[in-house]
Amino acid sequence: MYRTVKRMGIPDSHIILMLADDMACNPRNSFPAAVYDHPRKTLDLYGDNVEVDYRGYEVTVENFIRLLTGRVAADTPRNKRLLTDDKSNVFIYMTGHGGEDFLKFQDSEEINSYDIADAFKQMWEKQRYREILFIIDTCQANTMYSKFDSPNILSIGSSKKGQNSLSHFHDYDLGVSVIDRFTYYNLEFFESVDLSSKQTLADLIAAYNTSLIQSDPGVRTDLFARDLAKTYLTDFFGAVQNVELTTEAFPIGKSK
Amino acid sequence: MPALGDRIRALLGRRSEAKTIISVQNDRRVVLASILLLLLLGLPLWWTTTRVYRAELPVAEIAVFAPDQELTVPFSFYIDAPSMTVATEAIEHMAQKLIDEQRTAYTPDEWRVRYTARIRHKAAAPDVPGHYTLRLREAARTAVDFDADRVAHVSISESATKRDAVVAKLVADIVAKEEHELREKSGARRALKYAPEYSVAFTLLNEDPVGGAAVNWDIEHAANAFVRPFVDTLRPLAKLAVSTQVLHHAGPPPVKPLAHENGTYLTPDMLPHFANSPWWNLASTDPIAPSINFILYVPALQSQPLRIIDDAKRTSATNAFVVSQWGGIAIANLPADTKAGASVVISSDELQKYFGIFIAQLRELVGIRNDTPLQPSTRVT
Repeated sequence: MYRTVKRMGIPDSHIILMLADDMACNPRNSFPAAVYDHPRKTLDLYGDNVEVDYRGYEVTVENFIRLLTGRVAADTPRNKRLLTDDKSNVFIYMTGHGGEDFLKFQDSEEINSYDIADAFKQMWEKQRYREILFIIDTCQANTMYSKFDSPNILSIGSSKKGQNSLSHFHDYDLGVSVIDRFTYYNLEFFESVDLSSKQTLADLIAAYNTSLIQSDPGVRTDLFARDLAKTYLTDFFGAVQNVELTTEAFPIGKSK
Repeated sequence: MPALGDRIRALLGRRSEAKTIISVQNDRRVVLASILLLLLLGLPLWWTTTRVYRAELPVAEIAVFAPDQELTVPFSFYIDAPSMTVATEAIEHMAQKLIDEQRTAYTPDEWRVRYTARIRHKAAAPDVPGHYTLRLREAARTAVDFDADRVAHVSISESATKRDAVVAKLVADIVAKEEHELREKSGARRALKYAPEYSVAFTLLNEDPVGGAAVNWDIEHAANAFVRPFVDTLRPLAKLAVSTQVLHHAGPPPVKPLAHENGTYLTPDMLPHFANSPWWNLASTDPIAPSINFILYVPALQSQPLRIIDDAKRTSATNAFVVSQWGGIAIANLPADTKAGASVVISSDELQKYFGIFIAQLRELVGIRNDTPLQPSTRVT
């Protein structure tokens, strides 16, 4: 997802990347500084321009909630703050081990769906977003968005309650499975999308193939005001800026 | 505990007294009195020492609080009244009062830019840009007629004092309308959110120095001459920290310009993606203050001259555009006879033209109308 949003033009100043493990530079990684999504190793997801904002032990439930609600310490640098306002579209993607109503952080704690719902409610009260796209890829992911009740949130989960979200290709060189199915098929869809694409979220959801993903992705649209068929992917995944031509210069040096 | 009672009585010197009813009742009274004393003194003491401290909100002070960091931008009005005497100071006072009354309170996110009226008699050829001219004359009815180029023909039929009030109201209406228009801009044309400190970064971006020319600019002099006056004027409102950099080999932009018979061009729908390159290092040097980026882009030699052609097929005069909430970009084309491998320095005179564009863009981002000077020229009385 990080690769996708960067490819579609969102700069690092507008991306907050939280990685609890450093897989690319892990001593057990036989292909250092590279993260592949397929045993054929055609696509390096890590790329050559990665900015990780929260790493290792900084990825905690407390830091995540503080980030969302804006209650960060006064000396937090700008790249670790969520500097959104009431006109921003926020895209949140979470993945890891999880279960019914929880997601595991750091092997020692969990964030549950009530926490996230409360954080979103606070964000709405403080007008920190216009729309949120929340995508989650864990086991029983659809339970994570069941507790939201703030407006303008579109949620997509990888598997429903009682179902596991499975991982995809097993790479025999590395000895692990390199990517989850749901994330892999999302990535495959986005490889065909670029900056000026006019495809919509309805296209993305229609492209989910349950038999390939081997779980039932769920979508929650009752809180989302717009029609999915009219919501462009670039609204969330790309950076489309408002531009205005400058018609005349200011006459400096002449009238002062 | 009879032994204890005996010991106490022994201490008090009443060794041999037997326990009579009166002494028992006395004891009871003493016990009761001490319990009452404990409650009477002890409870208030415990309450005052253990209650939670609650600070009062100084409501009265908040009501009168008025932060004085405002930027005053004067609108110049020139009155041309050959047949009447007009008291400009009185009109100015009245108009100012009316404008201040009509102004709504500023929200915390807004730049506090206060428009005022500055009224003078018309002298010969005032050269302050963005001024209004009011031509007054006596007539049967009061009427106002707006002309192109900000000239208003006002026919007044009132007596002298009422006349001043009519002119003052007209001036106040014009200024209030301008201020309202600027503050109500929404969507793409919204001004930046107010912050007490901003970091303004000017970048010279050279797409391809290898196949083209190596570019540099005389920035120190230009920044001092052209940017510093604006930054100083804005000082009471916000601190702008100016920094500059040159990116010598920036690489191509994310959108490829379209070919033309005389160079290349960009259309307005290609512009939103122009600044999105992940390879242009526009990271801010200031970790806390929000940043505004201005880019002077020198295209590769084979793309030059690169122009912007708008939807009406007209070539842009300035070759520049504002990216809302982010900054601005201006495209600098090198002289036509530049050869590959040359070394070009953009001189102060050319920089004056580009910085004129950048200052115009900065004014728009901050929410000041583009053609009103922040300090009126002192030459005209």
